[in-house]
Amino acid sequence: MAPMAVFQATFLLALLPLSAYQSEVSSEPLSLNVSISSAQQRLHLQWSVHNLTHPELKMAFQIEISRIKKSNVIWVENYSTTVQQNQTLHWTWESELPLECATHFVRIRGKEDDTWAAQQRVWSSWSSWVKVDAQSLLGQGPPHIFPIDKLVEEGSNVTICYVSRHNESNVSCLLHGQRIPREQLDTHVSVFTLTNVSFISTWGSNLYCENDPDIITGAEPGTVLFVSKVLEEPKGFSCETRDFGTLNCTWDPGSDTDVWKYPSQRYALFESFSGKKKSCEQKNWCTWQVAQDSQMYNFTLIAENYFRKRSVNLLFNLAHRVHPMTPFNVLFESVSTTNATMTWKVHSLGNFSTFLCQVELHGEGRAIQHNASSQVDGQYFFSGLAPATEYAARVRCAAKHFWKWSEWAGQNFSTLQAAPSKAPDVWRSVRSTLGSCNVTLFWKPLSKSQAHGEVLFYSVATENQDRLSSSKLFSIPAPANGTELSLDGCSHQIRVTASNGAGASPESVMVIAGDPGNQTAEVKEERIRGTEDGVSMSWKPPAGDVIGYVVDWCDGPQELSCDLQWENLGPNATSTVISSDAFRPGVRYNFRIYGISPERTAYLLARKTGYSQELAPANNPRVYISNLTLHSFTLSWTDYATDSQPGFIQGYRVYLRSKEEQCPPGFTKAVLPDNSVCCKHDIDNPEQKTFVVENLQPGSFYEFLVTPRTRAGEGPAHPFGKVTTREQHAHALIRIILPMVFLLLLLTVLCYVKSQWMKETCYPDIPDPYKSSVLSLLKPKENAHLTIMSAHDCIPDKLEVVNKPEGIKAQFPGARKSLAETDCTKHDYIYLLPTEKSSAGPGPGICFENLTYNQAAPDAGFCGPVPAPHTAPPGLGDLLTAPGNLLRSLEPSYMNSPGETPAGETTLNYVSQVASPTSGHKDSPPTNSLELAPCSEYRMQMAVPLGLASPSPNENRSLSSMSLLDPGEHRG
Amino acid sequence: MKVLAAGVVPLLLVLHWKHGAGSPLPITPVNATCVTRHPCHSNLMSQIRNQLVQLNSSANALFILYYTAQGEPFPSNLDKLCGPNVTDFPPFHPNGTEKARLVELYRIIAYLGASLGNITRDQRTLNPHAVGLHGKLNATADTLRGLLSNVHCRLCSKYHVARVEVAYGPDTSDKDVFQKKKMGCQLLGKYKQVIALLAQAF
Repeated sequence: MAPMAVFQATFLLALLPLSAYQSEVSSEPLSLNVSISSAQQRLHLQWSVHNLTHPELKMAFQIEISRIKKSNVIWVENYSTTVQQNQTLHWTWESELPLECATHFVRIRGKEDDTWAAQQRVWSSWSSWVKVDAQSLLGQGPPHIFPIDKLVEEGSNVTICYVSRHNESNVSCLLHGQRIPREQLDTHVSVFTLTNVSFISTWGSNLYCENDPDIITGAEPGTVLFVSKVLEEPKGFSCETRDFGTLNCTWDPGSDTDVWKYPSQRYALFESFSGKKKSCEQKNWCTWQVAQDSQMYNFTLIAENYFRKRSVNLLFNLAHRVHPMTPFNVLFESVSTTNATMTWKVHSLGNFSTFLCQVELHGEGRAIQHNASSQVDGQYFFSGLAPATEYAARVRCAAKHFWKWSEWAGQNFSTLQAAPSKAPDVWRSVRSTLGSCNVTLFWKPLSKSQAHGEVLFYSVATENQDRLSSSKLFSIPAPANGTELSLDGCSHQIRVTASNGAGASPESVMVIAGDPGNQTAEVKEERIRGTEDGVSMSWKPPAGDVIGYVVDWCDGPQELSCDLQWENLGPNATSTVISSDAFRPGVRYNFRIYGISPERTAYLLARKTGYSQELAPANNPRVYISNLTLHSFTLSWTDYATDSQPGFIQGYRVYLRSKEEQCPPGFTKAVLPDNSVCCKHDIDNPEQKTFVVENLQPGSFYEFLVTPRTRAGEGPAHPFGKVTTREQHAHALIRIILPMVFLLLLLTVLCYVKSQWMKETCYPDIPDPYKSSVLSLLKPKENAHLTIMSAHDCIPDKLEVVNKPEGIKAQFPGARKSLAETDCTKHDYIYLLPTEKSSAGPGPGICFENLTYNQAAPDAGFCGPVPAPHTAPPGLGDLLTAPGNLLRSLEPSYMNSPGETPAGETTLNYVSQVASPTSGHKDSPPTNSLELAPCSEYRMQMAVPLGLASPSPNENRSLSSMSLLDPGEHRG
Repeated sequence: MKVLAAGVVPLLLVLHWKHGAGSPLPITPVNATCVTRHPCHSNLMSQIRNQLVQLNSSANALFILYYTAQGEPFPSNLDKLCGPNVTDFPPFHPNGTEKARLVELYRIIAYLGASLGNITRDQRTLNPHAVGLHGKLNATADTLRGLLSNVHCRLCSKYHVARVEVAYGPDTSDKDVFQKKKMGCQLLGKYKQVIALLAQAF
């Protein structure tokens, strides 16, 4: 027992100091202070440890954070650090929930954490809870949303809370119209969690909450959420120097993560050998000053924003990262017709004085590249250049340790001119007239590679082969491509050269031997066919030697000006394919093939004609019908020009359409493009331009069409002509109708010839009273004295003309006018009455008022049987001045003949053709007026008894004052 | 010049703004000296009327342009976010005397001018690409300045009123982004409403 007691006492004594120490460190850490960073949603904890036994002690702390209530611990953090005497310790906690959304509580405890004091690791007691209540700062205002203007990274989760002073359980929040899931944190706080947010705009996204959609308070809160893109690792990080003084580092930053309100993306360069660091002002490049003694560099590019930090490394030797400056002073020396020397300078790079340079020459549509090693001054010799050609040369250089080419530096230059290297290609057109030859020369301009400079003029020398001394020289300035010469005789040698500033080209020689017109007539024209490649033709080589061939043709239509084209061919050629951009389908071209003799004389070998592409005829010929019979008719189109068609006419096709199903012999059934069925007949001879359609039905209707055919097809299938064959009985009808027509014509002629006789017989102007039907009417009353009074028996005593009808005549120029419209007082009256002196004398008196004819024929305006002039004869003046006498005399019995019949007994009647008030009623008193109205187209004819016609003196007096005439009209 | 007008004027207003300055002070006594820098135009009232008509005709377009530029939820929650809930807006009595109406008009135009300056400044940062909105805001601010000058001339020349105490709306520079947008929208809603009343009253 004693040893046990001793051991126990010793153990306790040993533990005593330890327990005393333990009691010191396990006391609760003092002065725990918690502050809030609302925007960052962080709690900053500060505390200090009292009574440290050592100046420096490693310790562990445990921090508990509760939300809403103390028992609801949401975070436990174990934090170890070395603590010094009187040191204030810091720790920060970031909440996923905005701190304004709920009350938080924080407490802490600690213990020693040194290895030597392992037995002392006993937690101190907890500090008292520190309450963090950010809500209390909100006051009694309207509801709030937290966080405010929050910055989050794309793809992260965001918790938003809606804080109200009232119990609001119907709150909803929307982001871009999308409702966010809600969770009730407590009675007045709702929490909304956005997961995996995406970037929308640099200027943020509106987030809006409302309690009740139907209640408008005007205090609905909202906030803007700023979503930044995720910071990317810089790509393509590279550094280089152009002058060994500055390093220029570049990189691709990727997506810009900055948002408008929180720009935080930044870059920095850290060089590990020197230990220097530089913040970059730009997001994609940065410069670094090269140290004189540094060749190796190890850079770290650090990219950083609010959420992340990324970096890339780059280790390099400065000499291997040289990007030379652009060469300068690029010049050309010793430029000749075919050579040139190019010189340039390169910026010096200290010890690095050797460069690899690349020279490039552009000219004549091609580029040539050469490599050259050079010092600061470089040069390159170009040879084999074309004369009078503009070239563009450029150069770029790189350092010996190739990193990058410099930019190009270039210059243009032109080689000098040389004489043209080739004779111009010349051809001619010859026309001979009356011993002189008109030669039109054509030549093609020399190509640039042949001209060796700008051609200034062409020289044409002509030499008469018959008289060698006779030669002429013409100079034609460029850019003419031909000239016209009038030569004395066709036998000439012509030499043509092209000259530029450096000299003349070789000669192009041709000899004109004679009139080419004869040759053309001798050579038969052949047809050729066009292909896809052009117009193909071949010919037989001539018997004699040739040094070549020429094919010429006109590019334009023959009728217009001939744009003469030609092609030279070698002596072995016997065929060629002529193609031209000017060739048009459907146009016929004529080709002439000439052989060129060793004496340079061209003679015609062959003539060809053809189309580059034949077309179907565009129009059908105009067809005439002839020889129409009962069973046939003839079609002819003789005026159809076969040579001016868009293809060679191979023949014609005759279409026939009728109601009959059977085709005439020689025709076959055919279907037209409009699917109508008809008969067709092919004519294979293009020169046959008539066709007899036979074996037809009489009196039948036919439609026909003649269309030409070429290799490309036939002409249009319209319009059809129409014809009807003759009727079978038509000739019989003609035999009847023709004589009848003839007879009718004969009768008409006879009537015309005997018209006067016919008129007098049938329709006399003045009816013959003896032939009048009046006689038949009077027959019942006829007596022995009944006779017709003859006008020849009348002895006129006096003539009086009343109202000379000059004006009336003018009013009736042949036109018949209604008597109702006529002034009756102006009618002519010719009275044949005895004068006072001769009134007792015997002899009948008669008066015709023959207005019936007078009106119809105004020229005959006088009493019919009496051809008395209108002017009164001498001795009749008294009566003329007293026309009323006549009327008065008519009063008693104006219907009787006084001389031959007793008074009151009618022996002679003139019956008015139409009843007249003045004549129809003999009992009615005569008027004093001469007016016969109502006027009638027909006038009475009357015979007046002579005795009654003699007025009494009184009557005469009284009547003499009743002149109804215009005084001006009276005569005598 | 427009930049200065839109930037400096609101700044000066902000510097002199005091919270609670919503109650306007009495106008200048009648016997105070009133001098205008330039002679007033003869048909001032006609010009004032025309300017009010011009502002009224463009107010709705400005309002639409504004809330459209802010994006959702503004266009679909106009009544909640853009209602004319401006508490300290100067009053206007259309049945008052011409002098009283002109004084009230002066206060309203001064208030609107300052608020429009704030909105223009905010929108330059919040919606830098809404060029059409910026142009319309600047044009409206220009017209308001002209109208203010004319009203001042009229008050001075006819009623010898040299100075009118005015009040300005709250500064938005320290507000969060959503609040800035919302306050701007409310102010423009109020502006649209008031300018119609003013155009009718004159």
